[in-house]
Amino acid sequence: MAGASTFLGGASGRLLAPSIVFRFFASAVLLHLLAWLALFLAAPSLPDFAGGLGWTLAALHLVTLGVLLMTTVGASLQLLPVATRQSVPSARWPYELIWILYTLGTLAACTGMALAAPTLLAAGALPAAAALLLYLFLLARNLRGAKGMGLVVLHGWAAGLSLLVLLGSGLALALGYSGHALLERQTAIGLHVTFAGYGFMGLLVMGFSYILVPMFALSDNPEPRWSNLSLGLALAALALAALVLTGMLPMSFFGAAIATGGLAFAIHVVLMEQSLRSGMRQGLGSSFVLVRIGWACLAASLMLALALEQELGIRHGAVLFGVLLIGGLLTLLLGMLSRIVPFLAAMHAGAGMRRPPTPSRMTVQRALDVHLYSHTLALALLLAGVFLENNWLLRAATAVGTLGATAYAHFFVNAWWRMARLLPKKGAPGSAKST
Amino acid sequence: MNSSRHTSRALHEDHSANLQVLARAEQAFARVPRGGMTPDPEFLKLIAALAQTLEQDIDRHFGFEERDLFPRMKQAGDGGIAMLLTDEHEAIRAVAEELLPLTRAAATGTLDAAGWDTLKQCVLELVERQVSHIQKEEMALLPMLDDLLDEETDRQLAFEYAAS
Repeated sequence: MAGASTFLGGASGRLLAPSIVFRFFASAVLLHLLAWLALFLAAPSLPDFAGGLGWTLAALHLVTLGVLLMTTVGASLQLLPVATRQSVPSARWPYELIWILYTLGTLAACTGMALAAPTLLAAGALPAAAALLLYLFLLARNLRGAKGMGLVVLHGWAAGLSLLVLLGSGLALALGYSGHALLERQTAIGLHVTFAGYGFMGLLVMGFSYILVPMFALSDNPEPRWSNLSLGLALAALALAALVLTGMLPMSFFGAAIATGGLAFAIHVVLMEQSLRSGMRQGLGSSFVLVRIGWACLAASLMLALALEQELGIRHGAVLFGVLLIGGLLTLLLGMLSRIVPFLAAMHAGAGMRRPPTPSRMTVQRALDVHLYSHTLALALLLAGVFLENNWLLRAATAVGTLGATAYAHFFVNAWWRMARLLPKKGAPGSAKST
Repeated sequence: MNSSRHTSRALHEDHSANLQVLARAEQAFARVPRGGMTPDPEFLKLIAALAQTLEQDIDRHFGFEERDLFPRMKQAGDGGIAMLLTDEHEAIRAVAEELLPLTRAAATGTLDAAGWDTLKQCVLELVERQVSHIQKEEMALLPMLDDLLDEETDRQLAFEYAAS
């Protein structure tokens, strides 16, 4: 549990200015809403999606670039310095530059995808990639100077390498639409999906879960030999997949890569479930219902990938795989974020007070409940709609998803507003140690 | 909890007992309607147990940590977590200052409707703060004691804590 102690002990002294982290989260919340709206427009063509420019690709990237990466960048910029006992640089410009370049780049790239405008897509992809490279530099600097938290640091390094592969393959795909083929398209897609979904996002989510889940559940950290085994298998799976996708190993090895990845993930989930079940704090609310749904979707995505690799002939299998992978990551991340946002808001707002606000004071639980039911229903309808090729189900899924995203935005804006309302009082005379 | 130190185990036992009372209080008070209610004897017993746990926690448990453990943590270079836990003690004391008079009024049947609403709010706030605080102590403070205390000091502190 030494990791948790360093995490908690250093937290108060290693916080970035609230506006830095919250602007990443705010962008993610807004783009989450836009993603469901884009998917509404894309609904009729979703079951037959096989790549190519249009609203489906835009919706997909509004979730991946706009929500998943945006949230992960913002959260890791804050959580990693705390976890690895690094001081936070006083200069704000690197964070602001990352945010501006990344947000504008993502918006331009997604618009380019939606309107089938390759030039706009490339013009957006380049600043977004530059922002991610700058983020990668900050990530690497942080990991290099890390004190403790070896398991999280290893996940971080592996995620950083995956980000490079994801960026390279993503740029190759974006420039491919303009006629500049840097990499064979199927190879680029394979690398892009594998290293974005399971490499960068998967590894960071797994790494941070080893801190956050025991912390929330009040439980012992998992046995290092099991968590190390899980990481080792995940890295082996990614390496195997990379060798197959780049043609250095025959395709028959791809099934082994998926099965190895599946085993790594299964061990991770079992460890997290043990943490939750053995924790002194039970009933972690709607956030952990989402986390569990996310785990289930990710596990299902790996099983489906294996079935597709075995050519079992599943109707719209590739699209269902995409929904499970991206939907699973989104669900898991929104669950975690619904815990992190009130926690950070309360921490910032309460600095210097004798009786600081509690995270629940920063939470509109009803909005989170609406989001939980809407989001879960939307995912189920989306899967059913794709499988049955039913346009009504798909439209209903996106409408319910939009409702959920609106409720989540309400929860977020409320937390931010309550924090901001309390923040200015800190400088007021006599505000310190006040209730 | 697999600590080798008696002091850690004693604090952990306190935490476990405390969490049980807090869980019962949270469940019971979540059902209290706006404007209060006429409490049955079971409910009054729970209020008394909560007040007793809180008073004991503040006097004995917090006092022991602030007097005997936090200075040692600071000396060992873990002042950050000691300061964080001290701040949380202070916040819980602030809640207790408002809560304890209300529990006494509830026990004697002199609590009005507004008082019941405040009592409910305070209890739920206390539960949230205490659970979060115990969470930090279980994850940060107790494991640290394994390295911080030698066997002799551990025995002595555990004895003093048990006798207090």
